[in-house]
Amino acid sequence: MKFRTFAAFVAPSILMMLLFIAFPLVSVLKQSFYLTQPVYEMVEVETCTPGFLTQTCVTETKAQPQLDEFGKIVTTTTFVGLQSYQNVLEFGRVKAAWAKRSWSEFQTIDFWKALRFTLTFTFITLPLILGMGLGIALVINNATRALRGPVIFLSLLPMIITPVIGALSIRWLFIGDGILTAGLEWWLERDIAMFAQAWTLELMMMFYRVWHVAPFAAIIFYAGLQTVNQDSLESAVIDGASRWQRLRYVIVPHLMPLIVFVTLIHLMDAYRVFEEVVGFSSQAHVISLQWLTYDFLVPDQAGNRSVSRASASAMLTMIGIVILLVPVLRRTWRDHRGGH
Amino acid sequence: MSQPRALRQPALLRISSAAFLAFWCLVAAFPIFWITVMSFKAPVDAFDANPFNVIFGPETRARGKGLSTLDILAGLTLFYATWRIAIGPLPRAVREWSPGGQVWIGWIIGALVTGLAFVVVLFGVLPPVMDLLNGIAGPLGRDVIGLTTEHYHTVWIERGFTRNFQNSLLVTTGVVTISLTFGTLAGYGLARSGSSLAFWILIIALIFRALPHAVLVAGYLPVFINSAEILRPILGDAAPTLYGKPAATIAVLVAINQPFTIWMLRSFFQNIPADLDEAARVDGCSHFQAFRRVIMPVMWPGVITTGLFSFLLAYNDFLVTSLLLDAQNQTMVPAIAGMFNMETTTTDQVVAVAAAVSITAPLFLLVMIFQRQIVSGLTAGAVKG
Amino acid sequence: MKLKTMLAAGAVSLISTGAWAGCAFENDVPIKSLSAGFEAWKAVTDAMAECGNVEAELDQEFREKQPSAFEANPSLYHIGGVANSTMVPLLNAGTIRPLDDLVEKYGQNLTPNQLIKVDGQTMAIAMMVNTQHLMYREDIFSDLGLEVPTTYQEMLDAAAKIQEAGVVEYPIGGTFKSGWNLGEEFINMYIGEGGSFFGEGNMPAINNEQGVASLEMLKALTEYMDPEYLVSDSTYVQQQFQQGKIAIANLWASRAGAMDDEAESQVVGKVKMAAAPMGSAAPATTLWWDGLVFATNMTDEEADAAFRVAMEGIDEEMVKANNDTAVWLINGYEPGEVAMGAAATAAAGALPYPASGPMGIMHTALGNGVAAFLTGDKDAETTLADIEAEYTTAAKEAGLVQ
Repeated sequence: MKFRTFAAFVAPSILMMLLFIAFPLVSVLKQSFYLTQPVYEMVEVETCTPGFLTQTCVTETKAQPQLDEFGKIVTTTTFVGLQSYQNVLEFGRVKAAWAKRSWSEFQTIDFWKALRFTLTFTFITLPLILGMGLGIALVINNATRALRGPVIFLSLLPMIITPVIGALSIRWLFIGDGILTAGLEWWLERDIAMFAQAWTLELMMMFYRVWHVAPFAAIIFYAGLQTVNQDSLESAVIDGASRWQRLRYVIVPHLMPLIVFVTLIHLMDAYRVFEEVVGFSSQAHVISLQWLTYDFLVPDQAGNRSVSRASASAMLTMIGIVILLVPVLRRTWRDHRGGH
Repeated sequence: MSQPRALRQPALLRISSAAFLAFWCLVAAFPIFWITVMSFKAPVDAFDANPFNVIFGPETRARGKGLSTLDILAGLTLFYATWRIAIGPLPRAVREWSPGGQVWIGWIIGALVTGLAFVVVLFGVLPPVMDLLNGIAGPLGRDVIGLTTEHYHTVWIERGFTRNFQNSLLVTTGVVTISLTFGTLAGYGLARSGSSLAFWILIIALIFRALPHAVLVAGYLPVFINSAEILRPILGDAAPTLYGKPAATIAVLVAINQPFTIWMLRSFFQNIPADLDEAARVDGCSHFQAFRRVIMPVMWPGVITTGLFSFLLAYNDFLVTSLLLDAQNQTMVPAIAGMFNMETTTTDQVVAVAAAVSITAPLFLLVMIFQRQIVSGLTAGAVKG
Repeated sequence: MKLKTMLAAGAVSLISTGAWAGCAFENDVPIKSLSAGFEAWKAVTDAMAECGNVEAELDQEFREKQPSAFEANPSLYHIGGVANSTMVPLLNAGTIRPLDDLVEKYGQNLTPNQLIKVDGQTMAIAMMVNTQHLMYREDIFSDLGLEVPTTYQEMLDAAAKIQEAGVVEYPIGGTFKSGWNLGEEFINMYIGEGGSFFGEGNMPAINNEQGVASLEMLKALTEYMDPEYLVSDSTYVQQQFQQGKIAIANLWASRAGAMDDEAESQVVGKVKMAAAPMGSAAPATTLWWDGLVFATNMTDEEADAAFRVAMEGIDEEMVKANNDTAVWLINGYEPGEVAMGAAATAAAGALPYPASGPMGIMHTALGNGVAAFLTGDKDAETTLADIEAEYTTAAKEAGLVQ
């Protein structure tokens, strides 16, 4: 294919990605090295606010941003180098914690706390999803033909349901005296509060994620199972391979590209875990990297937002993802070169 | 289809396999089943700690809202009938009536008609008929389960949720069409070009796919709000304010969705032998003609599968739509999230649950209809890493 | 459900949307408003919509959009709904206009109490106040012969007795959800102790005796709360009350009406209101107001129309129809049972929420930081020191601290 033809084919797609992904990304990168601030001046202000019957007036000295002749806030932008990264990573406190060899103190630093959870979450859910997905695919494939349709339909439900709503529906099953918590309490004969400590929260968040993503893995593996070469299965049987050996040496290798695909997608999605933190309101106990970025970015009621720190933490999140993806990328690169 | 004797399974394996399947189906469906049950109850019942109170809804029944055994039977029959139609006569009718190559239009029309008929029968025809029957049926006609549709009434009629529904329809249609158009073009180009540039585009797209969305989206807001001022020097007074416009949101969602779309479509294209377009080229077609006339017709399973993922992304999106659309153009998911975040009463929460269940219904229908296409699409594409 | 009732309801809703039914004039200038989404705003914007050509956007996340939407020229919205704290960014950016001339022209029905003044200029029109105050189960208290607590110490004693008597498992409810709610609880407590948040040059000053005392009291309260207190927001506390699971809480006045809602409450008539508990210096609560602001970047004609429409939204008629929805500041409001708590709290000298730029940052830092003390991860001094450090980093980034 000539370059011009190629360019014509990919242009619309590339343009969209440049405009809405690459361009904002570059500006995020830039913002992480700069600090933009309004210029404040201290002024004495009298403010009168309503009481129940009469007003209260207070006079105090307040920091107020200066406005230019067009009525816009005057801002200054300074290059701060890696300062924002330092503010996110907080190496000073890391060192202090290291000096005391205190893991719990280390885990009070937001970024590292978020990183710890994000990684645990990603790597615990990954095998669960692959295992569940494969298991479900195998048993669906094993079921009688008439059952397969309805069963696939049911299995797909957790995948298609709106994530915000899926997370809420699981939350209701557990929060307060939600019926599953009530059921567990009755079964174990003890008081249970699923939202009161970190580990139960993490357990629920992982459960939700596996519930939500396993169907995706299952349906892809199921599709893969349809193309397993029956001849090689039969010859394995003739060679006297047990069921387990057939799974291990014929089916799994056949599904390998799909397993890599699901792993790739899941690594990317799990690493930016976010909905779970919001859905289960876990921020007091457990936070994730994307939630941290989001928290920096959301303005407080007085309109302040930490754009520089948000940018830095976003870039750090991205670096993390690239590191996770390196093995997969190397494999793709080898395939690409081998393809020539 | 008979299996070779050696592949036949021992009873234990069969039983445990069936048990696992049953267990999974329960886990998969239960949370959704449960919010559906909640949405039909009075607030006191919906949040009761005792599951039987939630299911049977004594408080709801006490208010005279309930279903008799007869009602339940009639309802189940209706569901079963719809199911049979959806898997039997409907596909057949679609195949028969839709013009060649445009089967998907047939599917959309077929699905809409079936869905509409179902709703009309369930809410329009059944209630008066059952009222009559319950009156003469004696004990079978007595209410056994508390059930009220008042929350659905609140959502759809009092709160004007239909407008959000239309907005969702607009946004998802836009996103699916545009991202498939751009995606198939790019996917084809990438699949047929072995250049390093193509490789790097794919890798960069992969990294874009991995970006945390919160970062990107927050960057759009000030630009979108001030776009009229920013664009005025170029476009003059015609410069639009992008904030709140569905078109702008569609563009953003398409862009965010592009990496996944092009990866997926590329692997579908790779499975179509390159000989096919080369043959067409020998016959004098340009690249684009070969793509349109020869390749696309065999790509439908892949396009449908990818389209479904685009649909899910657009339909389920919260982050982008909640930030970039104003109230008039708001789609359903942010509208529901708004209902939950409001200073709510328990009643409001059950209403929000009803809204949540309502927006799941179209997804149900979609999966029911496209299920086979998804599986066969994925099988044909055998997605590659 | 009967088809007939459904059709009838549809018809009714069609009739009620007929324009300018309850409006003194017919508005022909398109007006847009952006505000929070709670009941009171719904009542006010519905009343505004009666004048015609009004598009109201009720969005709980409005604060993300409001500052930039008002900065656009022309502004995307004409009318904004704000509270003490959310007015700060608009005021700082100069995107809301002084209202003295409009008040003079169309504001005959406003009371002086409603006019929010900054340096003598009217910048916003308040419509309601809100505050956290005591709600308690009167039946439980009188059964056990308990006095209504006036301080947090008395509240703890009462809770201990209720728990001992086994009436409810967790007597106290609290809006302790980490984030904004928890930050607000600390601020209430700290103001009650008479603490001040900032020193010279906006530097934080909370790591002191009052700060420690506030934290200790919060922790003492959690001993009597459902262990899931860190996810409990005001809707959750309200539900706990309605389901009879708690006996006492310091809850928002705007929630008082729900206690007697027959459709969802199992404790109708049993929950009574009282003043917020006293700290050692002042009532341990803050007074909030909600009100209307108007964009600078619109034509005078639009401003005229917007203001007139807004006046129709907060007129007597609206208040009469929604008397118990909020503690209104508007003429014609008759404080009912449910407003007693707010009135008593204000009479006891509760202070307004000290809204400002630095306070916004402090509130966030508190909301994220206090939980570590309650879960036992840090001791009080470390918690406060870490919150101060977090505040300083954020305030430096915002340019508020040098």
